[in-house]
Amino acid sequence: MLFNRRSIITLAVLVVIAGCIYYFLTKRGITYIWHWESIPEMLFYYGTKSAGETTPHLHLGVLMIGFILTLKISVVAIIFAIILGTILGICRLSTEPVTRGISIAFVELIRNTPLLVQIYIIYFFLGSMLRLSAFTAGTAALAIFEGAYVGEIVRSGIQSIHKGQMEAARSLGMSYSKAMRHIILPQAFKRIIPPLAGQFISLIKDSSLVSVIALADLMFQGQQAVARTYSAFEIYFTVALLYLVMTSVLSMGTQYIERRLSISD
Amino acid sequence: MIRVIKLYKTFKTPDRRVVKALVDFSTHVKKGEVVVIIGPSGSGKSTFLRCLNRLEDVDRGEIIIDGENILDKKADINKVREELGMVFQHFNLFPHKTVLENVMLAQLIVRNRTKQEAVEISNGLLDKVGILDKGNAYPAQLSGGQQQRVAIARALAMQPKIMMFDEATSALDPEMIGEVLDVMKTLAREGMTMLAVTHEMGFAREVSDRVIFMDEGQIVEEGTAEHFFTNPINERTKLFLSQIL
Repeated sequence: MLFNRRSIITLAVLVVIAGCIYYFLTKRGITYIWHWESIPEMLFYYGTKSAGETTPHLHLGVLMIGFILTLKISVVAIIFAIILGTILGICRLSTEPVTRGISIAFVELIRNTPLLVQIYIIYFFLGSMLRLSAFTAGTAALAIFEGAYVGEIVRSGIQSIHKGQMEAARSLGMSYSKAMRHIILPQAFKRIIPPLAGQFISLIKDSSLVSVIALADLMFQGQQAVARTYSAFEIYFTVALLYLVMTSVLSMGTQYIERRLSISD
Repeated sequence: MIRVIKLYKTFKTPDRRVVKALVDFSTHVKKGEVVVIIGPSGSGKSTFLRCLNRLEDVDRGEIIIDGENILDKKADINKVREELGMVFQHFNLFPHKTVLENVMLAQLIVRNRTKQEAVEISNGLLDKVGILDKGNAYPAQLSGGQQQRVAIARALAMQPKIMMFDEATSALDPEMIGEVLDVMKTLAREGMTMLAVTHEMGFAREVSDRVIFMDEGQIVEEGTAEHFFTNPINERTKLFLSQIL
């Protein structure tokens, strides 16, 4: 299903856009000398990495190294965003005013300030107090930021489940937490897969902001490579394509999960 | 078995009017008794059942089940609910679980039975309500009547002392009402203590020990089904019966 109709159309649109940009550049008389030949070695190269290596091996290029770090940051941040978001969503619906209040305040505070500022605060302020590495600080900032959005998505998901479900579970003697765990949350999560997927796509893209704290992710590696080679167009197009690969795989993954879970409908 | 003493329950509507759902409501139900509750909509019938397992909070009054005041703060409401099976108008089956899982789940996580025990009990109950062959189907694949029978099996799986039916046949197509009533009748004949909000007077006549007619949160008239068919006394009762019979 990798080459379904939708992905072919998307690819065609991208090619047209790239063509337009190329045409625009040449027509306006801007002579840009493309150096696409320098891109492959930024992905993979065959050779010796250090003096100690005698036989040449296949190595990851700088962009692939960044790609893998971005992937790591995103996966860890997604996992923690789900955990945080679920807690926030449940607390938001608590009958306890204090719990509810904390959840609302947290979500509003995080959602209404820029992620970039949060990354700086967590890295420079909390990071230096708690001696966090750039990876921990950057991933934590992302998880907290996206977790606040996930919290609102989870809340809407829980609220969308008919209250008869909770009543039926409680009338069978299940405690509130058992009913949540076995009855409400599984149904809520199934329903919120599409908005969650959108949120996690945002997360992957937002992860490019952690490059500001010198975390050598895909964006950071791209910037460094541009500084070295001045091949800005080629490198940023490649960086964009690599982000697109990650987000598309996530999109397709969630569509697959959705299809799998729809058997009980 | 159940004693209800001077129960009061009010609701606030969104436009801040206060609706009295139960007013000075007292009754008692003996072990093995089958009580049918009838009355116009909004008369407090469902509220009464929902107060019994505390799906609704009571304003004041006492509900004593097996000698324990369940409105007491110290009462473990989950333990109380284990003994009170409830069947809802709209079935409320768990749509993400198969029929068998619906019946098994509470046995596993509330009664702490082993999986093998739960499967045995569940299959026994599904057989009893006549849908043993649908164990692996999902609720959405069943008819309304079948879903309601699963809901009954699910409640019975907890081996409750009391079964409550909240308009269990009201949301069903006419041709499916019979199959659900048959299951309810079987239960009644087996000696289950039952409280049923229903307008099926045929059911009341066949198996009930007592019929309660409610209006505006109070008991208006109470007696055997025969009494209601032959000589209802209260004018409101007569009017109501003339409309449903």
